Amino acid sequence: MLSYLIKRILSLIPVMFVVSVVVFLVVYLIPGGPATALLGLEATQEQIAALNAELGFDRPFLVQYTDWLVKVFHGDWGDSFFLQQSVLEAIRDAFGPTLSLAVLAQIFSLIIAIPLGILAAYKRGTVTDIALVSISLLGIAIPGFLLSMFFMLFFGLYLKWLPVAGYAALSKGLWEHLRYLILPALSLGVVQAAYITRMTRSAVLDVLYQNYIRTARSKGLRERAVVLVYALKNAAPTILTVVGQSFGGLVTGTIVTETLFTIPGLGMLTISAITRRDVFVIQGVVLFVTLVYVLVNLVVDILYGLVDPRIQLGRK
Amino acid sequence: MRRNKLSRLAALALGAAMLLSACGQANGPAPSGANPTATPAPADGSTPPVSAEPASYKSELNIAMTANPPSLDVHSVNSNITGGIGAHIYEPLFAMNADYEPTPVLAESYTVSEDGMVYTIKLRQGVKFHNGQEMTADDVAASMNRWLELSAKAKTLIGGSVFEKEDDYTVKLTVNEASSDIIMILASPIQFAAIYPKSVVDASTAEGLSEYIGTGPYKLNEWKQDQYVHLTRYEDYQPSPDASTGLAGKKQALTQDLYYRVVTDDATRIAGIQTGQYDIAEEIPLERYEELAGMDTVELNVQSGGTINLFLNTTQGPLANETLRQAALAALNCDDIMLASYGDPNLYTLNPGWCIPSDAQWGSDAGKEYYNQNNQEKAKQLLAEAGYNNEPITLVTTPDYSEMYNATLVVQEQLRQAGFNAEVASFDFSTFMEHRADPAQFSMFITSNSYNLLPIQLSVLDAGWAGLDRQEVKDGIAAIRSAASTEEASKAWDDLQGFLYEYGAATVLGHYNGVIALSAGVENFEYLRFPLYWNVTVPA
Repeated sequence: MLSYLIKRILSLIPVMFVVSVVVFLVVYLIPGGPATALLGLEATQEQIAALNAELGFDRPFLVQYTDWLVKVFHGDWGDSFFLQQSVLEAIRDAFGPTLSLAVLAQIFSLIIAIPLGILAAYKRGTVTDIALVSISLLGIAIPGFLLSMFFMLFFGLYLKWLPVAGYAALSKGLWEHLRYLILPALSLGVVQAAYITRMTRSAVLDVLYQNYIRTARSKGLRERAVVLVYALKNAAPTILTVVGQSFGGLVTGTIVTETLFTIPGLGMLTISAITRRDVFVIQGVVLFVTLVYVLVNLVVDILYGLVDPRIQLGRK
Repeated sequence: MRRNKLSRLAALALGAAMLLSACGQANGPAPSGANPTATPAPADGSTPPVSAEPASYKSELNIAMTANPPSLDVHSVNSNITGGIGAHIYEPLFAMNADYEPTPVLAESYTVSEDGMVYTIKLRQGVKFHNGQEMTADDVAASMNRWLELSAKAKTLIGGSVFEKEDDYTVKLTVNEASSDIIMILASPIQFAAIYPKSVVDASTAEGLSEYIGTGPYKLNEWKQDQYVHLTRYEDYQPSPDASTGLAGKKQALTQDLYYRVVTDDATRIAGIQTGQYDIAEEIPLERYEELAGMDTVELNVQSGGTINLFLNTTQGPLANETLRQAALAALNCDDIMLASYGDPNLYTLNPGWCIPSDAQWGSDAGKEYYNQNNQEKAKQLLAEAGYNNEPITLVTTPDYSEMYNATLVVQEQLRQAGFNAEVASFDFSTFMEHRADPAQFSMFITSNSYNLLPIQLSVLDAGWAGLDRQEVKDGIAAIRSAASTEEASKAWDDLQGFLYEYGAATVLGHYNGVIALSAGVENFEYLRFPLYWNVTVPA
């Protein structure tokens, strides 16, 4: 198990290296440096060139890249030109809101999806099943930003239950924190739920007609126990995979939802860093996101072993 | 039975979430500063009197702005957002009053030597920076010299000029060339000549300032990147004794806290002003103008903002041919272009002038025969005359500025109808800026430019902008600056504007208005180049 973990973590290094070279190269190749964004529409070309030179962006690619790489190995991910903080600080600040949003969205999605998925599987072929499958299909098809706008208009503008946008840090109190996150989390959660519902349904269906379910029923177990304990537990690895993917996506930042609801998370950091050509931030965020995504998958793999003892990591 | 429980569980969870949110609204503090404060300090006669009712005002003003300021160093950045926030934190020696006249702010008075080369500027005494230090001539000289170095327009116009300390409350400005517009240039509102403490200037680097300290009515409390800029009333502020007017006169900081919140999405800004989460929403998208104009809870403030302009490449490519440029100008129907860009006829005006049309000195319609011609026949004829061979005409643009993008598409269509092989190359803002600055990479481009107070500050006259590098332009600028009277200066600008049209270097497409939404009840809102909030109050 331990050697498996070490192997997985070591295999991250080449991935991160390739990602960093590619991202650095892409940012290097697209025109316009941070100076263009910093100086605005009416800046003259000389001013832009002078500032870019002063910031070191007129140097050749390899010089810039190795310079950055050496610093990274010293634990210095560089500084943002706009944020007046280091890249690591910027990521730390942005990760909090994103994590809160992701957790809440995932909770919403699970609360919606798991019961509905089981219900659809259990009522396979009935009107309930067809209705649920159709609704979840709609949920998958509907663009996230549209749903966000709808929630914003309905709960924020029309009912005035919740603020239309904004963010309050957890330090301002749990409720104040949640109040701003409910709408964006709900709109993310609903879209995720649609997908998880479908996967839960098919995973539960797969096991619902197995022999051990029949055995469980024939020994007189209550139907609830059969479905919730025997069927759900055996469907868990599949559900876990889907949830892991969905959480990986959520926790690495959702650009559209965060922008729409002005949540200062990783998604917003990414998009603004790109438009400003804030090279080190782009680089830092991409590496961080890669790392998180891989780690989430690793955790999911470990969880497999816990929910299903037949799966043993690291054994051939 | 069981399935009922399952579905009930789901319904319960959803219901609970919504109920929680509904309850919270009643208890939780509203985001837009509902904590009432006592009636603010009584307004002096200069400001419109604050009505007696209601007795209490919000202590917090929430302003939804469109983007994070690129910096809060007003010397180095030509940005309306930076300038607008900066005007509340910093003050210059001179600033524009409501009639666009330069008015002393941190200066008390000034005298000019007979040859017009030396300005002796007396400073107000007892003015304190936000860090508690008193402002003296050392701070002024350091700040002004830094500004001369960093502001491209200042450098072009009065580069080589030097500020020196004479005594603690007097500075001496030695200019390199006598001109009647020196004080005007010092008072320009964009990228303005803010006075920082000398220590801040000395500590600044290429990446900007490390501290944001001024003498203004508000001090910076917190700048949470990409979220908000929080300004708080500066209690030791020393207002100018004169009546409040434009960017000068008495500023009162009537509302304790200003929150400039970054809300990039248009729909979110509008929803926020409708629910009262924001008191002010800047840059309302023009397609929502009509809808908001009909609402009781929102007031719209329409301000003339600047011009949207088409620049032609006079140096390289097919348009180096003057006849071809004239053909392009002949093909334009500016009304259609402006309607596509701004959506509502209330939001733009057609006028060939590059400056504010109502400006007595600089408003001009010289070259009007070349403006908004809408004459496809003439365009076709000129095309034939020019021997146009269907060479591609590239219009570079960026969808990041929707008005520029929409105008570009209409211009492309009008040029095509006239027989041009016009194509649009669309990039993100930074890439657009690179193409725009390189005459090898564009035939035409459109930008919206805020008004400048002096025509000599216009980008179109800068060779680095669209490559226009003609002796007529240099002579014109010299003639304006050395003019002995305002009439003479005004005439010189007429000639120069006329030349721009005649040479087919560029054309104004129209003048645009900006729309700011205020929630009903916002009092004493003023606008001069930027929205000004220091005298604003909102009933609680």
